[in-house]
Amino acid sequence: MNFELYAAAAVDPLRLQQYNELLLASGLRNEGDTDYTVLAYRGERLLACGSLKGNVLKQIAVGKEAEGEGVCASVVSALITEAFMRGSSHLFLFTKPQHQNLFSSLSFYPIIKTDSVLMMENQRHGLSNFLKQVPRFEGSNGCVVCHCNPMTNGHLHLIRYAAQNCEHLYVFVVSEDRALFPYKDRLKLVCSCTQDIENITVMGSGAYIISEATFPTYFIKDTADITKVWAELDILLFTQKIAPALGITKRFVGEEPYCAVTRQYNARMKELLPKSSLELVEIPRLDGISATKVRALIESGRMSEIERLVPQPVYDYCKDNFS
Amino acid sequence: MEITQMGIAGTMESSDIMIRLEPKETEGIELNLSSSVMQQFGKQITRVIMDTLKELDVDKVTVTAVDKGALDCTVRARVSTAVHRAANDSNYRWRTKG
Repeated sequence: MNFELYAAAAVDPLRLQQYNELLLASGLRNEGDTDYTVLAYRGERLLACGSLKGNVLKQIAVGKEAEGEGVCASVVSALITEAFMRGSSHLFLFTKPQHQNLFSSLSFYPIIKTDSVLMMENQRHGLSNFLKQVPRFEGSNGCVVCHCNPMTNGHLHLIRYAAQNCEHLYVFVVSEDRALFPYKDRLKLVCSCTQDIENITVMGSGAYIISEATFPTYFIKDTADITKVWAELDILLFTQKIAPALGITKRFVGEEPYCAVTRQYNARMKELLPKSSLELVEIPRLDGISATKVRALIESGRMSEIERLVPQPVYDYCKDNFS
Repeated sequence: MEITQMGIAGTMESSDIMIRLEPKETEGIELNLSSSVMQQFGKQITRVIMDTLKELDVDKVTVTAVDKGALDCTVRARVSTAVHRAANDSNYRWRTKG
């Protein structure tokens, strides 16, 4: 093996330019949001690269002159080892569909693909194991996916409406922990605000619905066309794999006047869901209520003003934690 | 040895094997092996992995192994290293023969 590996949490500026050039030559770009990077060199030449962000392997590229030398296997091995040391064993990656065989040989299994992106994971039955944990209900069920950062009267309105308009409602609370309100608290608050609703299951969205893995730009709010690619992948995973398994026929969303990424995601759902015989139900937003606004009020210390925007348990939580 | 945490050793480079160990709730060894030479050496690799685990008194573990044509000695070394890491044990009982 005729190359050396260099690994670092942050790539030093001298190497960064080479790294960016290699990505560009492979039709990728440096999204700048990584925890760890491995670069393979022969002398001064950069042959291959790959990075890690949480449990996602990304920006993996091999220069033309180094193809077929197994340098990709070395880079991916180093990334997997690092991810394990950091405590992530369930890993994901995205690649172009034509590279499926390469990553299959490195023990990744396909989950879903669009024309331009293939999503893979390192567990053979990862998705079906996730679905096995979800309780099942006969009939035509509904689904709400929400961040609830924090839960507002708007979310509650959407959830109540949805529960009344389907047989059983699944509420998936985005379980990625990047928000002001930690995931376990967001989940707990959704549960306590909805405990009077009988036909409802509230659970974390796991790795397969709007996660760092399925929809990275939801969290980094990226450029429009990239967002479109990710939105499509996430939606396809939902329509092809998740909805059929759980008997979901309707997905409920609130109108989104504020956030461009969410608005675009909803617009794509409106196009794509009917193709799989699913319905997107978009309901008008309650006037002037948004989690963004609640967070802004908290940050500027105007705690009393949020009382009318959020359910009681959320208000109590905010008072306890932020005043 | 008792597997208390994740442990990993080896790479997916040619002639190597990557061994990942994870704690398991129930008794027994669950082995998921994929190999580029599965047809020819699948049974042999399985036997070496199982024997090595037995020698180290490991009986409750989930093993994921991705083999790229490793020799038996490599398989043994990688399994042993992964076990020590997963058991958080640095007392290596070096074997001088056999």
